[in-house]
Amino acid sequence: MSWKAVHRWLGLTLGTLGVVLGVTGAMLAIDPVQQARQAPAAPADLTVATLVERVTRSVPGVEEIRRLPSGAIVVFGFAGDQPQASNVDPADGRVLGPWQASVLPRWVKNLHRSLLLGDAGRWAAAGTALAMGLLCGSALVLLLRRMGGWRRLASRVRGSLAQRIHVVAGRMVLAFLCLTSLTALTMSASTLGLVALDTRAEPDVLSVVTGQPALPGAQLPTLQRLAVQDLRKLNVPAGNDPQDTWKLATGQGQGWIDRSSGEMLAWQDATLAQRVYDLAVVLHTGEAAWPWAVVLGLVGTTVLLFWLSGIVIWWQARRLAPHITGSSPLAQADVLIFVASEGGSTWGFAQTLQDALSRGGHRVHTGALEHFRTTAATRQVFVLAATYGEGQAPAHASHVLENIARRSAGATPVTVVGFGDRQFPAFCGFADALDQALRAQGWPALLPLERIHQQSAQQFARWGMALAQELGEPLVLAHVPRLPPTTTLTLMTRQDYPGAGGGQATAILRFAWPARGLAARLRGSGLARFAAGDLVGIVPPGSAVPRYYSLASGWDDGFLEICVRQMPAGACSTHLLGLQPGEGVAAFIRPNPGFALPRTRKPVLLIGAGTGVAPLAGFIRRNDGHHPMHLYFGGRDPARDYFFGPEIQRWLGEGRLSTVQAVFSRVPGGGGYVQDALRRDAVQLRDWVTQGAIVRVCGGGAMARGVADALDEVLAPLQWSVAKLKAQERYAEDVF
Amino acid sequence: MSKPLLSLLATACALAQPALAHSRPVTLTAQLKSYGGDGAYLAAYLTDAKGGYVRTLWVAGGKAKYHRHLSDWSRLSAGDAKRLDGVTGASVGAGKTLKVTADLAEALIDAGYEIRIDAAAEDMRDSPSEVRIPLTKANAGKPQAGKQYIQTATFQLP
Repeated sequence: MSWKAVHRWLGLTLGTLGVVLGVTGAMLAIDPVQQARQAPAAPADLTVATLVERVTRSVPGVEEIRRLPSGAIVVFGFAGDQPQASNVDPADGRVLGPWQASVLPRWVKNLHRSLLLGDAGRWAAAGTALAMGLLCGSALVLLLRRMGGWRRLASRVRGSLAQRIHVVAGRMVLAFLCLTSLTALTMSASTLGLVALDTRAEPDVLSVVTGQPALPGAQLPTLQRLAVQDLRKLNVPAGNDPQDTWKLATGQGQGWIDRSSGEMLAWQDATLAQRVYDLAVVLHTGEAAWPWAVVLGLVGTTVLLFWLSGIVIWWQARRLAPHITGSSPLAQADVLIFVASEGGSTWGFAQTLQDALSRGGHRVHTGALEHFRTTAATRQVFVLAATYGEGQAPAHASHVLENIARRSAGATPVTVVGFGDRQFPAFCGFADALDQALRAQGWPALLPLERIHQQSAQQFARWGMALAQELGEPLVLAHVPRLPPTTTLTLMTRQDYPGAGGGQATAILRFAWPARGLAARLRGSGLARFAAGDLVGIVPPGSAVPRYYSLASGWDDGFLEICVRQMPAGACSTHLLGLQPGEGVAAFIRPNPGFALPRTRKPVLLIGAGTGVAPLAGFIRRNDGHHPMHLYFGGRDPARDYFFGPEIQRWLGEGRLSTVQAVFSRVPGGGGYVQDALRRDAVQLRDWVTQGAIVRVCGGGAMARGVADALDEVLAPLQWSVAKLKAQERYAEDVF
Repeated sequence: MSKPLLSLLATACALAQPALAHSRPVTLTAQLKSYGGDGAYLAAYLTDAKGGYVRTLWVAGGKAKYHRHLSDWSRLSAGDAKRLDGVTGASVGAGKTLKVTADLAEALIDAGYEIRIDAAAEDMRDSPSEVRIPLTKANAGKPQAGKQYIQTATFQLP
C-alpha cells in the first residue's frame, strides 16, 4: 500500500477518533494556563526547609506539601476532620485559596484518555495515538514529495484552499503532533501495564525512637540543602506516631528521613522508565510551562482542521479520478498503453492516443504503469509517464523501475513519452530513468524518448506525426486537454501600445474576478489563487484550446493583469485585444511553480524582452520588503513598446526596484538588445551572482538563448554558468 | 524477633488455620464520600497485633502503576507475591459502595488483628490507613468513619 493510501485511510477512519482526542486535549490545555494564573511559582533560591517553616506557621495540621510542575505550591492537611488542599504563596506561606486539580469536568480528561470506555477505551486511545504517529510519518513523506524535498519545504503551497490548509498547517504542526503521539504512547504503555515504571518495594523504614523531641522540618539538613524547584512532594510525619518518617520525593527519586535524627534512612533513585515517563507527561500535558500548554492546545485543535480539510481533499480526488473509455482487454490488445500520472492529466493524453490507434483498427489496452507487462498478442507498448517533484515517479508507480529491472526484456518495442515542466531541474526525470531502465534491459523502442513540456498539445501532435511515419499508418493525435473549469474574468481597464516595427498592437489588460464563497474556496472551484509568474489560460469563444499568458499581478494585488500582443491570425489575442471594459472572458489559472520567485534577501536579476516583462513587473510590484531587484528590459522603441514604463519609474522611486537597464533595438543609441546590456554590465553581474543572485528570464525563445549565452560568457571567469545556476534552482525561464 | 519473620509466621498461621479450625465469611462494606474525583483505589488488608501484614482482603483498582499510591499496603505487603490473587476488582466511584466478602479464621477474631483500608484517587492525596477497624466481635456492624474518602466502613460477622 502506498504512503498516500495509508495516510488517506488512517485519516478517514482512526482520524475521527483523533479529532475527539485532539479537541479534548485542547480543552485540557486550559488547566496549566489556569494553574499558572492561580498561583505564583516559588523563587529560585528558596529551600524546602524555609518553605516547610512558612507553611507550618500558616497552615496547622500539614500532612503533605506538593510542588506542582507549574511551580505552584499545594498544601494538604486537615481542618478538624475535613481534608483540605490549598494553594500557598511560597514567598510567605500565605494561604491563597482552595486548590482544585482541574477547572474542567472530569469527563473531559476521561474522554481524552479512555473515550469513557474504561480499559477498552484506553486501548482504543492508545491505538489512535499510534495511528496519529503513522499519520504524521506518512504526512512527512507526502509533504516532502509534494514540496520537492527538504530544501523546498518552506516554499509556496499550491492547490485548493483545503489542500493549502492541510499542507500549510501540516508543515507547522507536524513535529508537535508527532511528539504528542509519541508521548501519548509512552504514557499508555505504563497505564496499560506494558511497561512497569518501578517494581521495587518501598523500604520498610521507621524513625528510631530516642526520647528526643522530633526535629522541625526547617532543621532537617536534607531539606536545608534542597531547593523548592527540585521538590515534588514532601510528606510530614504524623504527630501521634514517633516511628513515622518524613517522605521526600524529587525528580531524582524518593527518600525517607528520620524525624528525630534528621538522617536519610533510605533513598531510591527514580528508575529510567520513571524519568522517561515523567518527561513524557510534562511534554504531553504542558503542565510545567503554560506557554507550551497553549501551543499544545492549538495543535490539538488543528486535528479537527486536518480531518475536515482531509475529507474535502479526498472527495475532490474521487471526483477527479481518471476514467479511460474504450480500453480493450489486456490479452486481446495488440497495443498497450501504460500511464504514470500524479494529477491525472496524463491519462487524458493516453485517451487521445488510444482513440487514435483504435480508429486505425488496433485493439488498445490502457492501464496504470504499475501493471506493466506484455502478452503474446502485444505488438507495441507506449508508456506515458509524468514526473513528480524532483524527478520522482508518481506515487502509484513508485516501484516500477525495480520491477522492470527484475523482468527480462521482450522483443516488443516499448516507447516512452515523458510529461513535465522544463523549469524543473529534473525535467521528465522519471521518464528519463524509465527509458534508461528499459534500454538497459534490452527492450527496443519505436521512437526515442519524447519529453512534452507543460502538457503541450502541439508537441504531442508533432510526436504523433513521427509515430504515424514509423507505424506507416495515418494517425492524428488531436489532443484536446480536459480544461479545468473556467471563471469569467471582467475587463476593468486596458492600456494600449501601438507596437513597434511590425506594428503589432499590444495592450496591458487588467481584469477583475468574481468573488466566491467559502465552500467554493474549500473545494478549489472558482478562480484558483495565483501569483505573478503563474499562467492564466484564456479560452476564446468557439475554441477548446486555451492560450496561456504570464501573469503580471498576484491574487493579493486584487486584479489580474496580462500583457497581450496581437499575433498574426491569433484567435485568442484578437479576441482579447477586442475586449472593452466590462466585457468578460473565460479563464483558469495554471500554476508555474518553477518560475515563481522564492522568498529571498539575495539580489534578484530580472531579464525580460517585450511582453516578457509582464511577470517580472508582477514580481517588482510585490517587492514590499524592498529587497534588491534589478531589471533588464529589452524593447524596440521607447515611444511604442516600453511596457510598464511609468510603473517601472514609480517602483524605482518607491525602492521596490533598485536599478533598471532599458534598451531599445530599433532606435539609434538605444543600447541594442538585453544581451548587449548584460555584457556591458559584466562586472556588476558577476558581483550579484557571487552574492547568490536569483535570475528570472522571460521572453521569446531566441531572446532566452541569447541571454543564456551572454550570461555564460559573463560568468565564465567565475567558473559559473547558467547550467550551474539552474542546477541550484537559481535560474528559471518563461519562454513563449 | 525480626519483623519480617514475625509477619511470615503470622501469615503461615493465618493460612494454616482454616484447615485446622472453623472459618467464617466476613463481609466488609465501605461507603465512599462524594469527594469529587475519579474512582478511588482501595486496599483492604489484615494486620496483626504488632502492625504486621497478614493478608490482603481486597484491592479495588486494577492498574499496577497506581498501586504504590496505596502506600501502607504496598509497603507492608511487598513480600507477599500472591497478594493480588483472586482479590481484585474495579476502582470504586465517588459516592459508591464497595462490598466484599473474605473468609477469616475464627481464631483471628478478638486476637488483636485489625482490618485496614488504604485509599487513593487521581490528583488527590494518598490516604494510607484511611480506616483501621480492630477485628473484634464488639466492632462487628459498627460503622467507622474514614479520614478522607470513606464515609463509613463496616464489617459483618455472620
